[in-house]
Amino acid sequence: MIVEALAEFLTLGELGGVIVNGLAKSALYVMIASGLTLIFGLMGVLNFAHGSLTMVGAYLGGLLMVVTVTGGTAPLTRLGLFFLAIAVVFALLTVLGGAIETTIIRPLYDRPPIYQILLTFGLTLVIEEVVRIVLGVYDLQPLSDWQAALATKPQFLREPVALGPVSAGWMSLFQILLGTITVVGIWAFLTKTRYGLYIRAGSEDTEMASALGIDVRQVFTVVFALGIGLAGAAGTLLMWDPTWGASVPLAAETLLPAFIVVIVGGLGTFRGTVVAALVVGMADAVTTWWFQNVIEFTGLPELVLFLVLVVTLIVRPQGLFGVEEVGGH
Amino acid sequence: MSRRWGAISAETEADAEAASEPPATTVETEWPREYLRDHTAHILVIALLALYPPVYHTLLNSPVSAETQMLLPTVETMVGVLYFGLFAISFDFISGYTGYLSFGHAVFYGTGAYTVILIANGKLPLLGPGTPFMLSLLVGGLIAVVLAILVGLVSFRLSGVYFAMITLGFAQVFYVFVRGWDYVATNPRDGPAVGPSHAEGFQIGAPGIDQLSLSIGVLTGDEVALLESTLSGTEVSYYMIGLVVLACYFAMQRVIHSPFGRVMIAIRENEERAVAIGYNTYLYKLGAFAISGFFAAVAGGLFAGFKRSASPENSFYFLVTGDALLASIIGGFGTLAGSLYGHLFDETVREFLSKAGQGGGLLPYLRALLGQETLDATLVGDTTIGGLIDLLLNGHASLYVGLVFVLFVLYVPDGLLGTLRERLGGTFAEALPAKLWGDSE
Repeated sequence: MIVEALAEFLTLGELGGVIVNGLAKSALYVMIASGLTLIFGLMGVLNFAHGSLTMVGAYLGGLLMVVTVTGGTAPLTRLGLFFLAIAVVFALLTVLGGAIETTIIRPLYDRPPIYQILLTFGLTLVIEEVVRIVLGVYDLQPLSDWQAALATKPQFLREPVALGPVSAGWMSLFQILLGTITVVGIWAFLTKTRYGLYIRAGSEDTEMASALGIDVRQVFTVVFALGIGLAGAAGTLLMWDPTWGASVPLAAETLLPAFIVVIVGGLGTFRGTVVAALVVGMADAVTTWWFQNVIEFTGLPELVLFLVLVVTLIVRPQGLFGVEEVGGH
Repeated sequence: MSRRWGAISAETEADAEAASEPPATTVETEWPREYLRDHTAHILVIALLALYPPVYHTLLNSPVSAETQMLLPTVETMVGVLYFGLFAISFDFISGYTGYLSFGHAVFYGTGAYTVILIANGKLPLLGPGTPFMLSLLVGGLIAVVLAILVGLVSFRLSGVYFAMITLGFAQVFYVFVRGWDYVATNPRDGPAVGPSHAEGFQIGAPGIDQLSLSIGVLTGDEVALLESTLSGTEVSYYMIGLVVLACYFAMQRVIHSPFGRVMIAIRENEERAVAIGYNTYLYKLGAFAISGFFAAVAGGLFAGFKRSASPENSFYFLVTGDALLASIIGGFGTLAGSLYGHLFDETVREFLSKAGQGGGLLPYLRALLGQETLDATLVGDTTIGGLIDLLLNGHASLYVGLVFVLFVLYVPDGLLGTLRERLGGTFAEALPAKLWGDSE
């Protein structure tokens, strides 16, 4: 049975489908993890509230779409509005992130790093309950996906497209596109701009960077704000994906994979995060295929994600591309 | 850091004091008094906890009954405070004293809970449904010890954030596994419950001797006639579970005050130095992790014994560890007993600010106080006052607990007990007798 299944798995159509799915998942993972890795790499803060802010982004993005889109809106207009929504959510959450950093994270830099974990953990509780209260006002179910937001997705994104023998969803291709834009954008920002240079210098050696005249405090604020903004943008994208959707549990659902991706890649390396997202996304897609077609065990893909984490930490504790010293944070 | 060093030097001073005690002859006659003196704080706390059910009961039948119901947690909630407090204490034992944040601690709690229920349902080989509860607790604890050693062997090669993440990873593997394994329950997502093969309550006491054991559980607990009143099943559970928790607490406190515990603190303060002076810190960490896992499983077993069911969400999930984390930070990280007070504080806030179970809290009190007319009065648009307080107080306790937690992290980083210790310049247990009876010298 296993051999037959393997033979079926290796046919061009199935394998191609799995690869496209894997790339789409990788794109989502890299989007939810990149903010986390930027913040950790520079500041050594493991942001537990990242998932909650992704969830806030999903709801805000959904809100913008529901308000602007009517039944008769053309598909391309919807796409345009969606990119606009991502930009607006990114801007809003960047401001929120800046506010969080300057008011409550900043006093904690000279304490042991555990306090930043604790503080952001407390923040998670607060954010989730505030969202629940707001949802209560509008009579929305916090635990199930927000269907009205899902309905603003243009029809063609729900349909499959044939790429030679491979059948893939338009949504997957759309996600791959957005993931690529994000990766290229962050990479260009980090390597081609002066501010990116500051960030890389600060990640390498904070004291030396500030001795050379860089206002590291300001860089901290900007990076934290941008990281939160990225979380929000990722949330907006997830709002359109039926397997995720805008709901309160989305916070925990995204936080754990984001941690796995960041740790597997090596804390604080952007390149590692991208590679890890590819590894984890592919592992997820492959096990999802096997779980749907051969082995019957619910939660197998989830299990595999954590096994990837455990195995990586055993074989290479600092992560795929991690530098040992960064772990000392 | 300076505070911790201060605490250590205060403790060593106390040691020096103990060493320079009066000659042996006087010690022999003096020791019961000295013993009581050293344990004044313990006796006080135990007495307060023991008096809680009758006091609560009396207040409930007095003119301030509405206020009592609003402000104080019910006895049933207090049972939860005890067993979950034990879990938080075991979490603090490893995380607060060695500095290794065990973010997957819920796996041990869940192991204990599931072991008790599986044994009661006759699903564990060799142990039938008739196995005494005390033995089930022990078996759960031992399974957790084995698990802790296996997880620890791998995890203690890492430190800091990586250690927290790998333990979280292991715990989530078990969580997902248990949630999908249909051997443990017909619907593993909802978790197992104690079946008809074990209809009677779980007994705490000397195993096999009925006269020395009492059953626990809200419905299945024994009722005991005492003086003119009767203790309900819940109250009996409160005392019996309290006894187990107390024994576990003293065992852990004993370990912390032993040379072994000193090495744990040394690891937290400066692991490199501990290695340099010749300690095999790996083994010490592993040992501490195993001990901590054992007591976490006992706490989980008590929880399952009292509730008679468990679900993956309230035993194996990582947010269960999060609750223990809340408790130990609010109570004081690295203070052991503080975690219990932290959880008591947490539960009291939760029950006060949110309608939870039978506990009353602010919402029903406000409703009764304001009266229907005020509640129906409109504020803005079609929002009524009643609707507003309902919105803010119905089931949103996490919001307030989260705010309290953030404020604690920012402004009271040492927690309730830690701050108290800093004010007193030593532990409460040392400072209280000195206040009450003057210095022993």
